[in-house]
Amino acid sequence: MSGLKKLISIISAAAVSVTALTANVSALETYDPYSYDRWGDPVASQVGYTAEKYVDGEMIGCGNFYEPADLFISHDNLMYIADKGNNRIVITDLDFNFKKELKEFNYNGETLTLKKPTGVFVDQYTGLVYICDTENDRVLKSDTDGNVDRIFTKPESELYDQGLTYQPSKVLVDKAGNVYVVIKSVTKGAVMYNADGEFLGFYGANRVQQTAEVLANAFWNLISTEAQRERQAKQTPIGFSNFDIDDDGFIFTVTDSQEINTDLVKKLNPRGDNILDSLGVSDMTFGDMPPTYYSIYSKRSSLTDIDIGPSGELNILDFQHGRIFQYDKECWLMFIMGGTGDQLGLFRSAAAIESYDNKLYVLDSRKNNITIFTRTVFGEIVTEAANLYNDGLYEESLEPWRNVLKYDGNYRRAYIGIGNALYNKYEYKEAMEYFEISISRGRYNRAFEGYRDQWLKENYMTCIIVIVALIILLTVYKQLRKRGKIVYPWEKRRKGGV
Amino acid sequence: MLDLTKGQFVKHVILHPFEGFEDLRWKKGGSMKIAFAIVCLLFVQQIAYSRLYGFQYYSDYDKIFNIVPYIFKSFILFITWVVANWAMCTLFDGEGTMKNIFINSAYALVPYISGYLIGTVMSHFLIRDEYVFIQSVEIIGLCWSFVLLISGIKAVHQFSFGKTIALMLLTVVAMIAMLFLLVLLLTLFQQVIIFILSIYTELSYRFRV
Repeated sequence: MSGLKKLISIISAAAVSVTALTANVSALETYDPYSYDRWGDPVASQVGYTAEKYVDGEMIGCGNFYEPADLFISHDNLMYIADKGNNRIVITDLDFNFKKELKEFNYNGETLTLKKPTGVFVDQYTGLVYICDTENDRVLKSDTDGNVDRIFTKPESELYDQGLTYQPSKVLVDKAGNVYVVIKSVTKGAVMYNADGEFLGFYGANRVQQTAEVLANAFWNLISTEAQRERQAKQTPIGFSNFDIDDDGFIFTVTDSQEINTDLVKKLNPRGDNILDSLGVSDMTFGDMPPTYYSIYSKRSSLTDIDIGPSGELNILDFQHGRIFQYDKECWLMFIMGGTGDQLGLFRSAAAIESYDNKLYVLDSRKNNITIFTRTVFGEIVTEAANLYNDGLYEESLEPWRNVLKYDGNYRRAYIGIGNALYNKYEYKEAMEYFEISISRGRYNRAFEGYRDQWLKENYMTCIIVIVALIILLTVYKQLRKRGKIVYPWEKRRKGGV
Repeated sequence: MLDLTKGQFVKHVILHPFEGFEDLRWKKGGSMKIAFAIVCLLFVQQIAYSRLYGFQYYSDYDKIFNIVPYIFKSFILFITWVVANWAMCTLFDGEGTMKNIFINSAYALVPYISGYLIGTVMSHFLIRDEYVFIQSVEIIGLCWSFVLLISGIKAVHQFSFGKTIALMLLTVVAMIAMLFLLVLLLTLFQQVIIFILSIYTELSYRFRV
C-alpha cells in the first residue's frame, strides 16, 4: 500500500514539475512560438530571440518619436533612426545614449530641412549619411554634421518615365559608391546612380509571376493586332519594397506583396541576377505559409524589411503579422518571433529591423519605440549548429544538433543535420532513421544506397549460400512434384472426385 | 484435356491470354469466390501502393489516413465497370451475364495487382536510380492485364476484336455517367436530409417554448 502511495506521489510530483516547467517556458514569451514542419503545417517550437526590453524617444532623451520609419546601424556602432513624423534623423549609440539629431542641413550656404524622411543609410567606406527625404523628392548625401555633399533627384532621362513621381523610400550604397534608391512608383527595380550622381539605370527588377492570366495574355498577344495590344493592360512586376547589403556586397531585396510568390526575397549579384535561384528557392514561400483554406481571418505575410545578420542569416520582418522570420544563409527557416499586440515582443506596425551581434532591433512606427531582442540559449545552439553545417562541417555539427533536439524535438533541421553527420561517418543505418523522421526522402535514398552496399559487402557469402540453397531446393521440389511425391490436399480431393 | 480445378484455371487463364478465357467459358471454370478475393486483393494492393512503398519513392502527405479513396479506387470502380459493361453489352447483343463479366474482369486484374505488389516489395530494396526496374515490372503487369481484359470481355460476350474495343470505350463512358449520377444522387439526398433535419430543429424549438 505504501509502495502504491509512493508511486502516486512520485507521479503527481512529476506531473506538477512538468506542468510547472512548460508553464515557465511559455511564460517567457507573450505568444506561442511555432515553426513549420516538412508539410508546411505549423508545429510548436521555441524562439531564437526573446524580447528583452523596449526603448522609446523619451528614454533616449530626444523627445518621443512620431511614426519612425527606418533604422540603421552603422559600421561605427551608431544607430540612425529616421523619425519620419518629426522630420529628423536621430543618432544614438547601441546603449541608446542620445548622440545627435540631424534636422537642418547646409548645402552651399543654403539651409535644407527634411520632410517625412523614410530611409537612412551610412556608407561604411566614406562614413557619409544618405537620407531619403521622401516628400521633398530627393536623396541627401551628407556628413554627420549636416553638410550636404550631393543631392540626388529625379533622373532626367528617357529611361525614367517623367510621368512617375520620385518619392525615394529606401537607399543604400555599395562598395563602388553606387547609390541605389527604392521608389514606390517604380516597378523596374531600384534607381541606380554612380558616385558622381549620374543616373545609370534600374537595378534588379522582379519578374512577373507566371499565372494563368499571364499565359492567356501571351496567347492573345500572338493573335491580336497592334492597336488591340496597345489598349491592353501591361503585365508589370511588383517592385521590391526594401533592401539591405551584406558584407560581400550582395544586395538582398524583399517584396511587400500578399498576392505573389515570385521573387519575394532575392539575393542580387552586381549584375542584378538573383543568385537564390541556384539554391532552388526563388519561388519559395518566405514568411508565413499561405493558409490551406481560404479565410478572411488568415492573411498572407507582407515582407517589409530585410536585414543580413553577422553570419549571413536573413532577418525578415512581416508587417502583416508583426513577425520576424529568421532564415540562415541557405534560406532554411530558423525561428519565428513576434506577433501582433501591445505587449513586449509584439508589434502594431513593424517598420524596420536591424541586427547587431546577437541582438535584433525592431522599430515599430505606431508604438513609436524600438524593441530589443536578445538571442536565447536555444538560438545560440541552433546558430552554432547551422553555421557549422553550412560550412560543410557536418560531423562537428553533430553535437550541437543533438543539443537542439533536447530543447525542441520538432526542429526538423536538427534531424537532417544529425542524419548528414552520421552519413558522413558511414553510419548509414542511423542516418536512415534520422532522415526518415525528418521526411527527407532524397537524403534517405543516399543513406539507403550506402547501407545496402555495406550490408551486401558484409553478407556477401551468406547471400550466395542462400541463393544456391534456394536453387537446389527448387529443383528437388520440382523433381518430387514430377514423381508425385508431393500432393496437396485440394488436389487429392479433386482426384478422388474424378 | 483441361481437367483443371477452379484455382488452376486462374493460372491457366493468365498464362494463356488468347484462348484462356474461351476455355474458362466452355468449362465453366470461373469461381465467384476467387474473383471476389481478387477484388479484395486489388483493394489491399491500392493501399500497399500508397502506404507501404519504399520510403525513398513516395511523397504523399501521410499524416492522415483516409480509407474512402481506396475503397473507391478498388471496389466501387470495379463494380461500376462490371455494371456498365453489362448494361452496354445488352445493347450490343453480348452473351455475358453479370457474373461472368465479374469473373473475367477480376481474373484479368491479376497481373496488374501482382505487378504493383512486386513493385512495392522491390521498392524496399532498390534506390531511386534503379526505379526503372520497378517501373518496368509495373508497366508489364499493367499491359498484360489490359490484354487479358480485352480477351476476357471478348470471350464473355463472343465479340469480334473491334466490337470489343468499341464496347470497352462505351463502358468507360457509361461508367463516367453512372458515377456522375451517383454523385448527383448523393448530393440531392444530402439536401433532403438537411431539409428534414432543419424542419425537425424548427419544430423542436417551437414545441419547447
